[in-house]
Amino acid sequence: MTVAAGAGYALIALGPAFSLFAGVIARKPFLVLTLLSSTLFWLVSLIVLSGIWRGFLPLKSGAWWPYVILILTSVAFQEGVRLVFWRLYKKVEEMLDAFADRIAKPRLCLTDKMLISLAGGLGHGLAHAVFFCLSLLTPAFGQATFYVERCSRMPFFLVSAIISLGFLVIHTFSMIIAFNGYGERKKSDQIFVPVIHLIAAVMTLINLAPGGCLIGTPLLCVMAALTLQYSWRMVGQRLTEHEH
Amino acid sequence: MDPAAEPPAPAPTSAAAATILDTLGEEVLAVMSPVSICMALVVLLISLLAPPTSSPSAPPPVTAATLVYLESPSDSAGQKLVGALLDAAVFVVLVALVTFALVALYYYRCTGCLKNYMRFSAFFVLFSMGGGIAVAALRRLDAPLDAPTALLLLFNASAVGVLSVFASAVPILVRQGYMVALAVIVAAWLSRLPEWTTWIMLVALALYDLVAVLAPRGPLRMLVELASSRDDELPALIYESRPTLGPAEMQPADSGRSAANLYARVGQQDDLGPAMVEMRDLGGRRSREMARPSGGSTFQIEGEMPTTATTHTSTQVVTPHQHAVIQIEQREEEETAPLVSAASANSSAPAQEQRQISSSEPPDDEFEMFESSRGIKLGLGDFVFYSVLVGRAAMYDLMTVYACYLAIIAGLGCTLILLSICRHALPALPISIMLGVVFYFLTRLLMEPFVVGASTNLVMF
Repeated sequence: MTVAAGAGYALIALGPAFSLFAGVIARKPFLVLTLLSSTLFWLVSLIVLSGIWRGFLPLKSGAWWPYVILILTSVAFQEGVRLVFWRLYKKVEEMLDAFADRIAKPRLCLTDKMLISLAGGLGHGLAHAVFFCLSLLTPAFGQATFYVERCSRMPFFLVSAIISLGFLVIHTFSMIIAFNGYGERKKSDQIFVPVIHLIAAVMTLINLAPGGCLIGTPLLCVMAALTLQYSWRMVGQRLTEHEH
Repeated sequence: MDPAAEPPAPAPTSAAAATILDTLGEEVLAVMSPVSICMALVVLLISLLAPPTSSPSAPPPVTAATLVYLESPSDSAGQKLVGALLDAAVFVVLVALVTFALVALYYYRCTGCLKNYMRFSAFFVLFSMGGGIAVAALRRLDAPLDAPTALLLLFNASAVGVLSVFASAVPILVRQGYMVALAVIVAAWLSRLPEWTTWIMLVALALYDLVAVLAPRGPLRMLVELASSRDDELPALIYESRPTLGPAEMQPADSGRSAANLYARVGQQDDLGPAMVEMRDLGGRRSREMARPSGGSTFQIEGEMPTTATTHTSTQVVTPHQHAVIQIEQREEEETAPLVSAASANSSAPAQEQRQISSSEPPDDEFEMFESSRGIKLGLGDFVFYSVLVGRAAMYDLMTVYACYLAIIAGLGCTLILLSICRHALPALPISIMLGVVFYFLTRLLMEPFVVGASTNLVMF
């Protein structure tokens, strides 16, 4: 894979993340720290998951049902970690509000809280993209590229970059939806996030079938667009409510 | 909701009042960015200059870290472990001896000796070791550069580096850049040690750091106390961050601007008459000399501020480290004559200074504001060993690099939180190194088969 192609794949997977980072997150140092800590959270959850699953690896390549169990457990665990992250965020919010009162500055407003949840979600998405896509990309510089048998139409790296992009969008914006749902106790938001995550993860199982990635990957992008639209609507609603 | 009946609400999206989110965490980020840049550069250098794995690599250099046992691939695991332990023990003993020698020299005030040796060692690192890396990089990239030009450029760069690190009136960015360059060069050189030796040496150094800074007779603690009792600079290479003051300002631009402000302020001070001279020192204390405009040229020394009782973040993480491997004493000795050390003045707005000068009285509360904008200081040895850990992780795989990077940053964050609670010098190595080592082995053994297995089958979550 040439350097140009590699840079292209990396930008497909991480381009929106970079622009979000440069445009929104890098302006406030606290958001950068939130991003780093949420990336760490995701990494720890991944390590715990792999610790649990280590005994069962390597999975038999022919069978697909071990992957189903893998996906189910992983998604359930990660949603649990999201709840833990939410509790931690509530504590930090209390401390920040107390600090703001002490130095006689205004408390966190709605946009601040949404920015923090955006940074948290971006941290999750970034961790996903880095560990699932980028870490396989960078050692592969040099001659030749890699194709998976079941997906012989597109280079492996391109497919994995597109999937990472989809998941980046899903993780980032579902964190905003989830925090809003937990904060406002709206059941619809709280249910939406794990369901979307599960559907998206199950869709990657379609990639196990020969030629499946041609169906699975566009469907994943549809899910990402759905998440984006839902989040847009929800944020618009909240902001207009807040103004009045 | 009837829009006609209600008065139009002000737009809340653009924050009329700056909330705390704008400036919170600046100092922490100002320390984490150079650490991240240093680690990134070391990983880049190592992947650029990595010897091709097929050919047998050149034998690792004989250093103080491999005096007892030189690892070779054919030894058994037990042999390697024992050999590495011996190597690490010898290395830590050497470092401790050298640190004690440094404390003795500092105690007996051999400042000239210390200063000159530090300058020489910084020049040596930049010229000789940096030159070696530059030559290897040029060879790898097939870049054409003739020897006299290269020598000239290298000499100039090293001379500027020595000046910027030890002299005072240098822009802060240049100084920080050269500090990071020093750390990168030393770390890239240290990563050439064999694998087992590196890991055990890192753990041993983390433990040594813990003891040396916190134990009552630890050499580094004695050094810090000596320096603070003399109101003097710590004789070591320390990276200083300068936090920004304005809300929602980007860090690099502002440190450049603050450097410009620094020079403007010096000029203004000369014009206004009363010469305000600041000497910065350790432990947050400051002695300030201010000449009153009336009554000739008497200098009055203002009272010293309480050391660590302030609520402002004038705290430091100080871990000067010597590397017996390359026989470098990384120390720094401030000129004892009072200067307007522009590098040590902080980045407050000029308006505050003018107010202070015109009022011609010691405004202690404004002095507190000066204190509050002090940055966090991190010893250069910490940069080096973080980068060595990440560099060694880079030699295995990039997934371990990302995991170790996150672990080190988390450890640094924890150390900084502890610093804001404890308010005295803390060792920066132990938490980060332990977390980094744990995450490296967990990632390598547990996470990688899982993630690679899942993602090569295009099953992701």
